[in-house]
Amino acid sequence: MLLAKARTLLAVHFAYMMEYRAEIFFWILGGLVPFFFMAAWSEAARQGYTLYSPLEYARYFFAVFVARQLAIVWANWTFSDWVRTGKLSFYLLQPLDPMWRLLADHVGERGVRLPVLVVIGGVFAALFPGALVWPGWGALALGLAASTLAFLLSFFVAYSVGLLAFWLEDATEIFELWYVLVLFFSGMLAPLSLYPEAVQRVLLWTPFPHLVYLPAALWSGLEPADARGFAVLFVWTLVFFAVSRLLWRLGRGRYSAMGA
Amino acid sequence: MRYLRLLGIFWAASAAARMEYRAAFVVAMFASVIETAGKLFGVYLFYSSGFELGGWPWQEALLVLGFAQLVDAFFLLFFVPNLRRISEMVQDGTLDFVLLKPVDSQFWVSAQKLDPIGLPYLLLGAAVLGYAGWASGLGAGGWAWLAFAGAGAVFLVYALAFLLATTSIWFVKIFNVVHFLSSMIWSAQYPVQAYARPFRLFLTFVLPVYFMTTAPAELALGRAGGGAPWAMFLVGLGLFAFSRAFWRFALRFYTSASS
Repeated sequence: MLLAKARTLLAVHFAYMMEYRAEIFFWILGGLVPFFFMAAWSEAARQGYTLYSPLEYARYFFAVFVARQLAIVWANWTFSDWVRTGKLSFYLLQPLDPMWRLLADHVGERGVRLPVLVVIGGVFAALFPGALVWPGWGALALGLAASTLAFLLSFFVAYSVGLLAFWLEDATEIFELWYVLVLFFSGMLAPLSLYPEAVQRVLLWTPFPHLVYLPAALWSGLEPADARGFAVLFVWTLVFFAVSRLLWRLGRGRYSAMGA
Repeated sequence: MRYLRLLGIFWAASAAARMEYRAAFVVAMFASVIETAGKLFGVYLFYSSGFELGGWPWQEALLVLGFAQLVDAFFLLFFVPNLRRISEMVQDGTLDFVLLKPVDSQFWVSAQKLDPIGLPYLLLGAAVLGYAGWASGLGAGGWAWLAFAGAGAVFLVYALAFLLATTSIWFVKIFNVVHFLSSMIWSAQYPVQAYARPFRLFLTFVLPVYFMTTAPAELALGRAGGGAPWAMFLVGLGLFAFSRAFWRFALRFYTSASS
């Protein structure tokens, strides 16, 4: 019963997202930023300045690219749009928590995104021979587990921000703050191991480096599995899951179905 | 003159409308501070390993970063709000009203909106430029070049962005194209010489990123020896002429909607 529900939801949202495949394609191209950092760092490595070799940088930043792509979320926009336009009313009529619909929307989109990532991976492997190596089943699985957790955490943060729409008209912008923090402290600028030690120590307790660096370092073999990273990520995911549940409980009473 | 007055009216109206959403402005202020700090941190990471980005001393590299911030601010201030408006107008056919007005249509659609969210970015960008200019010991001539080349860079970016915006006549929804363009601008925060050779060529000839930030910095520093930085004005004028021609060409395909 539950399984059938989930299957239908996912199929519907996958089909829905297929409509937007051109948009998603450009969206992915917009995510190519890590490759610029790769270009700069591998040049630095070629001149003999840093810890790693040019190929290691290529491998790492490709993994960063994939990790970022798998954790992209937009629940803040969608949910606050539902509240503002009154679309939420229709979803409230169904015996299904709207959170599941949003989650299915995100998971279904991964299905459209994945083939494009494979193609980009192919192009990358052709352009940088030797950069992509098989990480081994263990590292692959651990990295996937990390990136799934990272996706869930990002999702619950975005969903919590979206829920603020019950109180604030322009809440979704708050997500921007989270976004810029992730941009600079997730290891996209450089592998975290190159950050100053004091910064690293502080960052390891925040969720940011584990969102990108943890899976990327596992996939690229830059660093062995870090159990503490998983623990920190897991705790933050639970925290934001709880926050989103709480906001949902408090907020839905204030919903006035504007525009419906 | 008339156009200047129009600008005043447009901007006052759209800034007032936007200020209704004060929370967004406060968030943008914090975000701009984090973003500037993060970008400076990114530059620091390179220099702390002893690598000089493309052989540029750090204070001169910051000049490039400052120009990149300026371009970013222009995007947020003008490009994003106006583009949103253009694609809305194409969607519901209200572009008709603009075309009927006795005002140049390209001017209208590219200057009508202003989003104050870009202001903190503009101020911080100016601060980075000011500091970097001071640290690299610019003389009066250097500062004049900095201002002139900065204006040139914004002009070039405007022409390029407008070219992309024009395609919304056909494609209607092009917001992700913008996302693509603005992420390309990420590469503009370091001097192009910092990148491996194929990237450097790509960022000069395919995407005119070199002319956006590296060339203005070279002009301000009086390092225009090879003559390459001067090309930024040619590229800018060329792109502008092309964007005007392309806009007129695109309008021939505009078929209005629901009228």
